[in-house]
Amino acid sequence: MRRQKKTDPFAEARIRFVDYKDDRLLSRFITETGKVLPSRLTGATARHQRQLAKAIKKARYLALLPYTKGAQG
Amino acid sequence: MPPNTPRAYEAVYIFDSALEDAAIGDKLQKFHGMLSATGEVTAEHWGRRQLAYPIKRRENGYYVIAHFTLGDTSVLPEFERALRLDEGVLRYLISLHERELGAPPMSEEELARRKAAEDDDDDEE
Repeated sequence: MRRQKKTDPFAEARIRFVDYKDDRLLSRFITETGKVLPSRLTGATARHQRQLAKAIKKARYLALLPYTKGAQG
Repeated sequence: MPPNTPRAYEAVYIFDSALEDAAIGDKLQKFHGMLSATGEVTAEHWGRRQLAYPIKRRENGYYVIAHFTLGDTSVLPEFERALRLDEGVLRYLISLHERELGAPPMSEEELARRKAAEDDDDDEE
């Protein structure tokens, strides 16, 4: 059975640039331990996935998102 | 890009949340005074919020987002130095304001056409 194609969440939300300051949005695209979710799961286009990864990295630097969390400290 | 094209920057500062609001205002004024920016420097205060992880043993920080446009970027190294040396600044990030990069915003016409195309897509689902 073919996996249903996910739609790009950023195109759907009319987001042209993924903003690193929007931690509530970004937090939807990281795992429980803080990793970036793969585009396979986010459904983002390649361009948006790149922007997303960069945005998450900037947000981590600014302590808006954790580098890591949970797991065994 | 020609050397003196004004470019829009965005800076995020995380101040020590123990600082008084007035002290933060003073520091901002001091930093932004160094920039000799084209036009106004706007500062948006997010205020105190919890850090995702401790920085210099602090659990909270006072966030400020600033936007400014520079024709002459030679002031930036000095500006960054001041930020780095200031103990009250836990962290800062200066970047080009991304909205200014890439394609110009779409015209009404393009938006309408795009909307129409998207609606067509919806039918297939």
